[in-house]
Amino acid sequence: MSGNDTKGEGQGDRAPTDSELSARLRRLETQIDGKRPAASSDPSPRPGPSAHSSLGQAMTLSTEFIAAIIAGGILGWLCDHFLGTKPWGMIVLVLLGFVTGVYNIMRLSGFSGTNGPGGPKDRKGP
Amino acid sequence: MAASIDPIHQFELKPLVSLGHIGNQEIAFTQSALYMFAAVGVIAFITIVATAGRSVVPGRMQALAEVFYEFIADTLHQATGDKEQRFLPLVFSLFMFVLILNLFGMIPYAFAVTSHLIITFGLAFLVISTVVIYGVMKHGSHFLGLFIPAGVPKPLLLIMVPIEIVSFISRPISLSVRLFANILAGHIALKIFAFFVAQLLLAGAWSILSPLPLFLTIALTALEFLVAALQAYVFATLTAVYLADALHPGH
Repeated sequence: MSGNDTKGEGQGDRAPTDSELSARLRRLETQIDGKRPAASSDPSPRPGPSAHSSLGQAMTLSTEFIAAIIAGGILGWLCDHFLGTKPWGMIVLVLLGFVTGVYNIMRLSGFSGTNGPGGPKDRKGP
Repeated sequence: MAASIDPIHQFELKPLVSLGHIGNQEIAFTQSALYMFAAVGVIAFITIVATAGRSVVPGRMQALAEVFYEFIADTLHQATGDKEQRFLPLVFSLFMFVLILNLFGMIPYAFAVTSHLIITFGLAFLVISTVVIYGVMKHGSHFLGLFIPAGVPKPLLLIMVPIEIVSFISRPISLSVRLFANILAGHIALKIFAFFVAQLLLAGAWSILSPLPLFLTIALTALEFLVAALQAYVFATLTAVYLADALHPGH
């Protein structure tokens, strides 16, 4: 009984909404088209790897921090080696590496939010 | 048996065919190279042989190849927004190479090629040189706009530009160290826990406890399969993200 009822209703619903459905489909398509360029240009601003799983993110964050320090150390060593600024290149660039590591993590974890110094949180850093 | 615990032993390179010497360094065709060739063979099989039929309704292997292709194409498109997909061959090859090598490493007694830093660094260096060379070719000096974050007040640039430069140089390091460290640590952990089983079995009354590390080994094996796939995915995603910088440097 009730099954018949719902069937009848469904058909009664479907007949008038057929044109509506196609209109809705068209609306959706235009909406998607409107969204598409935005979505494609969106990830480019910051190299935040969109590793979707939190496990991937956890692995990313730790290595990102360490890699920045290593990069600073290598740059400092090269600077010392070729420019003869014996201790100072290493000292300054390893410290800079630490700063970069923290900055990388802030950026990847979305702490700084928008690109550049968006909020008061950012201004506290430097 | 218990005395021979050496979790690092599995990563030793064994020369198969010696090709001569450069200085004191032997140049040899090692088992690492053999595995790489095998990986290329498997990838070639999946992508070329299995899709040779080009059937509209794909068979099993063709479906596998199509899944990989569409997955990478999707990832790349999301990251770069590049309609021409000109980096698709590079990213796809890198992903397949790393994935197959990682999975090869999970076969018992097999050698995990990606547990060597020089391999992963070579791949990461390839990615970064592509970014730099393509970026400079396409945008010239405008490519240096990569190092100038947008919307930062002028005096702050004095600090931000060196940070961005160090950050850029840390990219190949983090890309390679991540893959290498995950595979290396995973295999060492597996080896150690597997040895615990054998050791406990030989330890008299303590052998009651031997199922514990066995279960851990099983769980770790599952985790390692996840890590093998995940790290290949992360490698491909980060490659795509870095390549996006080469395509649109100034932001």
